[in-house]
Amino acid sequence: MFPAPIQDKGPVIGTAYRVTLVVALIVWLLPLVGIGLTSIRSIDDLNQGNFWGWPEETRFAENYTGVFTQSPMARFLLNSILITVPAVGLAVALSAMAGYALAKYRFPGNLLLFAVFIAGNFVPFQILMIPVRDLFVNVVPLYDTILALVIFHMAFQTGFCTLFMRNFIRQIPDALIEAARVEGVSELRIFWHVVLPLVRPAMAALAVLVFTFVWNDFFWALVLVQSDEARPVTAGLQALRGTWTSAWQLLSAGAIIAALPPVAMFFLMQRHFIAGLTLGATKG
Amino acid sequence: MADVRLEGVKKRFGDVEIIKGVDLAVEDGRFCVFVGPSGCGKSTLLRLIAGLENVSEGRVTIGGRDMTSVPPANRGTAMVFQSYALYPHMTVAENISFGLRMAKAPKDEIERRVARAAGMLQLDHLLQRKPAQLSGGQRQRVAIGRAIVREPGVFLFDEPLSNLDASLRVQMRIEIGKLHQDLGATMIYVTHDQVEAMTLADQIVVLSAGRIEQVGSPLELYHRPRNLFVAKFIGSPTMNTLPVEVLGQDAGGLKLALPGGKPILLPQAPGLSGSTPTLGVRPEHLTLGEGRDATLNGKVRLTERLGSETMLYVDLGHEAEVVVRADGLSRVRPGDVVPVGLSKESCHVFDAGGNAVLNGALM
Repeated sequence: MFPAPIQDKGPVIGTAYRVTLVVALIVWLLPLVGIGLTSIRSIDDLNQGNFWGWPEETRFAENYTGVFTQSPMARFLLNSILITVPAVGLAVALSAMAGYALAKYRFPGNLLLFAVFIAGNFVPFQILMIPVRDLFVNVVPLYDTILALVIFHMAFQTGFCTLFMRNFIRQIPDALIEAARVEGVSELRIFWHVVLPLVRPAMAALAVLVFTFVWNDFFWALVLVQSDEARPVTAGLQALRGTWTSAWQLLSAGAIIAALPPVAMFFLMQRHFIAGLTLGATKG
Repeated sequence: MADVRLEGVKKRFGDVEIIKGVDLAVEDGRFCVFVGPSGCGKSTLLRLIAGLENVSEGRVTIGGRDMTSVPPANRGTAMVFQSYALYPHMTVAENISFGLRMAKAPKDEIERRVARAAGMLQLDHLLQRKPAQLSGGQRQRVAIGRAIVREPGVFLFDEPLSNLDASLRVQMRIEIGKLHQDLGATMIYVTHDQVEAMTLADQIVVLSAGRIEQVGSPLELYHRPRNLFVAKFIGSPTMNTLPVEVLGQDAGGLKLALPGGKPILLPQAPGLSGSTPTLGVRPEHLTLGEGRDATLNGKVRLTERLGSETMLYVDLGHEAEVVVRADGLSRVRPGDVVPVGLSKESCHVFDAGGNAVLNGALM
């Protein structure tokens, strides 16, 4: 068996492994624990310098309602949803279609086009900052609107999504599509009734991934919007810091609330991952 | 019901010519089998008929209509794929009815046709299952059912049995033969298995490197191969070939020297040119013992006991070896020296170019 189980490696390596594991876990989880604890502290607790100890009094309800009553958190969350859901939906839909075309149609320049999609992923997005902002301020007057972020995220994520979908759709046997073609099924219906049901797990995985990317985006929210009406929760939280310089307990509560949707999304879509791609139809 | 005609069909992929000019007529209701070694273009030819590939040159007509540039859906053909190509997310019933549902056929019509196909293929009790819950043979039946409900004029089979195990293959072979009898439709069937070809076909097309080598009935191909390729491709074990020399040819016949120098007198072969033709004779036409027209002696190198028969690999010396089909209980052992007899009725002669100039007199 490869790799050999760690239990067979002898006591020294075994101990080292356990120690490393615990250290790695602590390093990984400590910030999360810190934020969790902070989100249920009172401000007095923080002012007294109790950052890591158990809170003097737990103020769970106060802090988690406070972030909604004392800041436009609800608005930010709504903005995040209004940005993320359409952007993810459109990116996945477009990339499924583009991926199908790239995977299953022979046309001149197919490979070149695919290469362009791949290459797009390697462009450092920071260098796009000035031109994209310029574009939305001067050419398409959408600066400081939710639509600007939707359009940008959709366009930017489609590159990666297409790469992902194309490779996935390529694994579907050609015979399935040809069988449908011989049966007189139109290309669009083949896509809808044969290809889409088979790539549903891939689309679910992709949706979760891209949802997390877009939801957690901070950079473009900073570049393309500035008012509270259009700010998503990431940029909104950062803005809170300016207003309540010391309200760390509220910021932490907000951060945890902001992290919940991607987690929920994962559990929602989990069923689809497990379903897996059953291509048992061809061969044994 | 439809006949299929190919006229000067060529297919190129880039610069590579896969089909190098094929003319073929498959009459209505015939069972035609394409055989040939891997890469000979038999599957490509089938896909050209189906319309899954476009012909580079030539014409394809089905039922008298020019189908050269008609999309696959409108050719009146149904295809069964080697991989079955069942839609994994649909039940058997949905798989079979998919094409009809997409074409918006009336519900009762769909039900009637599905029920009929399921009945013919004994799929009635499996209609609500998914393909993953079926055995290989059942999947293959579903794939055939999907073709039947379309009530096509022409069935196209692309190596449909090659993913099945041996016993199931025999059973499905018989079922496909029966299906052809029941439906009476034209069927074109690609296989590399010559037993399938021999047992199913009305007409066999032997292909090699993108060209037709010979078209004919199974027995015609077996007994009257037009060239060495067909002679060696059809039949298992393959036909024995011996290098021979022409001693002379006159009104009395063709006199050849067998390896080792023994003569044999065959009927006249006017088409023969050159002095070193090849003699071909099938393993079952060689006899252990004195032959009527010539006898060679050789040492048995290997025996293959198949139960019903024994294959003897006999080294004749002079770099010539033949396979002799002997009785299943033959007492011959490796190392034995045995006489091998020939008779002129079963001898084929091929010229230096591999073309048959004499095909024996058995058929």
